[in-house]
Amino acid sequence: MVPVPDASPLPPAKVDRLVEELKKDVDRTLIRENLKLTVEERLVQLMRLQEFAEELRRAGRATFGR
Amino acid sequence: MTDFPGLLRALRKEKVRFIVVGGAAATAHGSARLTLDLDVVYSRTPENRRRLAAAIAPLAPALRGAPESLPFVWDERTIRSGLNFSLSTSLGALDLLGEVAGGGRYQNLGNDTETIHVFGVDCLCVNLDALIRLKRAAGRRKDLETIAELEAIREEREKTGLR
Repeated sequence: MVPVPDASPLPPAKVDRLVEELKKDVDRTLIRENLKLTVEERLVQLMRLQEFAEELRRAGRATFGR
Repeated sequence: MTDFPGLLRALRKEKVRFIVVGGAAATAHGSARLTLDLDVVYSRTPENRRRLAAAIAPLAPALRGAPESLPFVWDERTIRSGLNFSLSTSLGALDLLGEVAGGGRYQNLGNDTETIHVFGVDCLCVNLDALIRLKRAAGRRKDLETIAELEAIREEREKTGLR
C-alpha cells in the first residue's frame, strides 16, 4: 500500500525546530543578490526561471519520450 | 510561463481589490524559489466579485486540473458560490483566494500589506512578516523550506539594510 502523506498541521514547536534546521541550508548568497534588485527585476527574473524550467521539461520529454 | 505583468494589469484595469500572496509575494521580497502561478487574496464584496468576474473573463479561465468536459462558467455567481479558485488562463496559472491558508481574508490583511509598483501598476502585496506568519499558522509540511528562506531573508534585510 502507498502511504498517505500526513496532512494534519504541524504543531508550532515542531515548525520552529524544523525551520531552524532548514535555515542552515538556505543559500544566502542568492538572497543577497536578489535584495540588490528592484521588485520588478525580481519578478522578471522569476519569469525567466519559469521559461528555463519549461525548456528543460521540453528537452526531457524529447530525450526520454515522456 | 506566468505573465505577471498581464495578470496584474488585467486585475488593476477593472479596479479589483486584491493582495498578492504566496510565491510571487515571496519573490517580491527576495526569494530565489521557483513558483509557477500568481496567488492573490481578493475582497469578497459583491462589487469586487463583479469586478473580478469582468477582469478574468477575457482570459479564457478554466479550472486547473479539472476535466475539459466539466462545465464551468466564470461569472459573479460562480465566484459567490465558491471561495478559492485555481485557474488556468491565457496569461498563466492564477489562484484566486477568498481565504489564504493560515486564516487570512482580504479584510484581515489590510494592515499587513505594502504597496509595490511593478510593470506600471500599483498593487498591494502582503508584507514579509505577515507572509511568514500565515505560512507558520498553516503548519503545512510543504511550506517549511519556504518559511526557512523567508526568515533568512528577514535576517539578511536586517544585516544589510537592503529591502
